Amino acid sequence: MSIDRSKELSVRITNAERDRVNFELFNVDLSLANSIRRVMMAEVPTLAIDLVEIDINTSVLADEFLSHRLGLIPLNSEGIDKLAYSRDCACDNYCANCSVKLELNTKCDTDSTMSVYASDLAKFQNGLTLGNPVTRDAAKKGPLICKLRKHQEIKLTCIAKKGISKEHVKWSPCAAVGFEYDPYNKLKHTDYWFEDDAEEEWPKSANRRFEDPPDKDAPFDYKATADHFYFDTETVGNLPPNDVVLTAIETLQRKVADILVGLKDENVETSNAQSGGFTTYGRTDYDNNGGETPSGSKTPYGEFGGGSAWN
Amino acid sequence: MADSEDVSMVEEKVEQTEEQEQEYDLEKIKLLPGSSDDGTAASFQIIDEDHTLGNAIRYIIMKNPEVEFCGYSIPHPSENKLNIRIQTYGNITALEALHQGLDNLAELCTVIEDRFSEKIEAGGYKTVEP
Repeated sequence: MSIDRSKELSVRITNAERDRVNFELFNVDLSLANSIRRVMMAEVPTLAIDLVEIDINTSVLADEFLSHRLGLIPLNSEGIDKLAYSRDCACDNYCANCSVKLELNTKCDTDSTMSVYASDLAKFQNGLTLGNPVTRDAAKKGPLICKLRKHQEIKLTCIAKKGISKEHVKWSPCAAVGFEYDPYNKLKHTDYWFEDDAEEEWPKSANRRFEDPPDKDAPFDYKATADHFYFDTETVGNLPPNDVVLTAIETLQRKVADILVGLKDENVETSNAQSGGFTTYGRTDYDNNGGETPSGSKTPYGEFGGGSAWN
Repeated sequence: MADSEDVSMVEEKVEQTEEQEQEYDLEKIKLLPGSSDDGTAASFQIIDEDHTLGNAIRYIIMKNPEVEFCGYSIPHPSENKLNIRIQTYGNITALEALHQGLDNLAELCTVIEDRFSEKIEAGGYKTVEP
């Protein structure tokens, strides 16, 4: 298994919006591209309401129903890395280091129905934008929480905590992550159902504009692998889309680092085959780079410096 | 005097075993039975990981020319465990292959991260502001 040196890892950004980034990843393996997608979806930490202490709720909605709605409100999560996970915090229950407090105190005194919006949540000031409800509508009101009739009242305190959407989707920074490769289905990874003609009946992927149409007469290339991936990261507004991508990659690296730490703990006994060196792949003839280990862009997948072992 | 010494030693032993048990609970990765004597073939169990890491690490270890086989499995969907099997051609141990794989994966992530930030800073893409 050798690696084609002409194929260098690269990234292309095709479109960037406030809540979306479209980018392409070239010359990585499907497994890694999929890992990035999975981490973006499920393991990027954000802030969401996790505890609700209800003093008064005379609205038509049940306490738990209201709590659930509050949990799903996107909260600004910029600077979330400064906030600790509540379970890791030294405090008893929650504190300013591991939570953000928001308060809702409304009462309807008018004859008409009153709408309560996320922007009515009053945050206990923490000197940051962290924890402000995300408002994307023109009136800057945010999502509707509930409606109150005359004399109905809500008084509650919300504790927002840091979390990941593997635990609950309310912590997801992404509304959706689009992931596609091989829009012409040259690799035949997809088997399209059809009545008469699959090509006519199925909608065409927008990503087809980045690739050449297949040569109908060419034989099937059974050696071809996917090496061009299209991502469409759409966020809910709590984190900028670029940050979601970068945090996802960092999270993936932290997972690797966690295992390396676990290996250092000597729970796994080290035994050398031939007292083999560390990153030499068991070879001794390759160290012509002054013993320098490959680092930075000098990876087997990037620029091929002398440090590469993938010869 | 002798009695009190004995007691303190017993206490120490109890403390030690408790510590070990705690470490055992916290351990991220352990060696599974079924490794060869020279260590060139071994299985590991990683706690709290899934296909996100499993498939990527499997691929990158398999890319190592010294590795004969690498496969992973989630033995049961409701247990957060990941088993990974590595067999090498004999020049490196399975553990070394795992180390190298993890290092390479981390490096690969760094490159993607750098390239992405580079491209974001360079601009030249379509932007839509609200």
